[in-house]
Amino acid sequence: MIKRVLIANRGEIALRILRACRQLGIEAVVAYSEADRESRAVLVADEAICIGPADAKRSYLSAPAVISAALATGCDAIHPGYGFLSENAAFAEAAAAHGITFIGPSAEVLERFESKAAVRALLAKHGLPTIPGSDGVVADEAAAAKAAEKIGYPVILKASAGGGGRGMRVIQSADDLTQLFSLCTQEAQAAFGDGSLYIEKYLIDTHHVEVQIAVDKSGTALHFGERDCSVQRRHQKLVEESPSTALTPKVREEFLVRAAKAIGAAGYRNLGTLEFLVGPDGKPYFIEINCRIQVEHPVTEMVTGVDLVALQIRLAAGELMPMTQAEVERRGHAIEFRLTAEDPAMEFRPQAGEITTFRSPSGPWVRFDSHLYAGYEVPPYYDSLLAKLIVWGNTREEAIARSRAALLEVEIDGVATTRDFFLGRLETPSFLNGTATTGMLDAIGTADILAAAPKARA
Amino acid sequence: MPHNTERLGDLLDSLLPVLVERLHETGLGEIEIERDGAIVRVRAEDRGAPIASTPAPAAPRGGTPAAAAAPSVADDRRHPVRSTAVGFVKLAPDIHVGGKVAKGSLVATVDVLGVAVEVRADHGGIVAKLRCATGDPVEYGQELFLVESVGEVKA
Repeated sequence: MIKRVLIANRGEIALRILRACRQLGIEAVVAYSEADRESRAVLVADEAICIGPADAKRSYLSAPAVISAALATGCDAIHPGYGFLSENAAFAEAAAAHGITFIGPSAEVLERFESKAAVRALLAKHGLPTIPGSDGVVADEAAAAKAAEKIGYPVILKASAGGGGRGMRVIQSADDLTQLFSLCTQEAQAAFGDGSLYIEKYLIDTHHVEVQIAVDKSGTALHFGERDCSVQRRHQKLVEESPSTALTPKVREEFLVRAAKAIGAAGYRNLGTLEFLVGPDGKPYFIEINCRIQVEHPVTEMVTGVDLVALQIRLAAGELMPMTQAEVERRGHAIEFRLTAEDPAMEFRPQAGEITTFRSPSGPWVRFDSHLYAGYEVPPYYDSLLAKLIVWGNTREEAIARSRAALLEVEIDGVATTRDFFLGRLETPSFLNGTATTGMLDAIGTADILAAAPKARA
Repeated sequence: MPHNTERLGDLLDSLLPVLVERLHETGLGEIEIERDGAIVRVRAEDRGAPIASTPAPAAPRGGTPAAAAAPSVADDRRHPVRSTAVGFVKLAPDIHVGGKVAKGSLVATVDVLGVAVEVRADHGGIVAKLRCATGDPVEYGQELFLVESVGEVKA
């Protein structure tokens, strides 16, 4: 039983978790940094507690501050959201040592799934095809060169402890490798506290497809369909949708079942996402796992009708899976757009400042997850996500048409946003026909996409 | 040194009205001054001003803690001492209304998972109002108590 949850995150996800708690009849306390005192989750919450200054290292990333806040407010569980401490095994362990339930996989499970290189090997053993790559982490540059030679250039160097699209670099040749290996090691060390790298074959025209899974304590594993996150810019996801246009129905069903089976057998628990690249052969190859709720989870919620955050909390509380695989019905098509405070006309430079106008879109099958309000000051310290627009339709075409209408309704003034970029993206053939691949946006000029955007009322 | 009662009487005559007025102005619980070897202490009756020692199980909800401070004509001489961490507070022994605080002194600790995080006073003076009690849960930046600088009262 979980009675009272400390929400150790910010922005839209803090609000999302708060809503799930209220729906479940669980009390919630929002933990916030000084920079987020006026954030919507704090204002809406019945209770909130300031855990530190704006600097995330001393607030949202401080395990002692977060756990101490849970104790000070009498919480028996912590929801870490995404990012920050969400996949930190040491944090999960420290919380458990203080009698607090970590809403996510246990410390032991997080530890087992921490090393990307090891997880690749583990899931390959349980029957998931993986992209050709090094056998675990590469010890040094010589080992990397040997592995890369065997796989064939181009390859991608990845931080074993990395995530969220960070800590990876495409290597085109042996010369590149010589130049970049130690730099990548240093970057990984600085960003993730672990300089270990591994190598994978770099597939250029791929779809990024991921499977939402959930496993209860008894090992019952379900999948909730897939999400296609191929619209990316520099490995950052911008648009996500479900189902994926890259899979044939036959490949899809077999692949989803296999993913759920493998992850259950590998000992994973709670909510998670298995990420795959769909190669030119139309088949998905496992790349990595995310042991948390993801930004794009609403896409799956819209298609399945399952509240994933609520499910995550119930599983963390020790409940058994409240449904069977046959009861997870997937209907229609959903698309999510990540509206960020970035200026597409200026190389997506992050923005901060006061939101002067805020009008959210609405209407049938339109969901808008946002922590904004007019007068809110977007702080410069954190990630730039402002809102997620999620739209559902019976078909992909209907979802796109509704997305266009909903995006035109979005009015956010005060900071530059990516809205017009998305309006333009909706008009490009590669998006309309579902052939967008992960490297495509970096190849198309942003200016061309912006120019394609229909003009909203000035 | 034996006190000269007559001189003490004069002293009280001249000082008392000033002290009483100061007490009213500041909302201080107590003022103590020393002159010519004599100590004069004036204590106000509690006028119903809530001294924050709320034993509430929960930490305060979001909102500017400073906004909770009662307005006073002497606000510019009142300095809140704020918590430097989130956890359970322990006030130093001399932190009570009327107690003296030296600038830079250790006035409280906040227990964060067994680690005592120090709270030091930015200003010297007298504790004018308590806003928490030892053992209370406190949030980062929470006002623990008010220190009033009283330098000019001392002759």
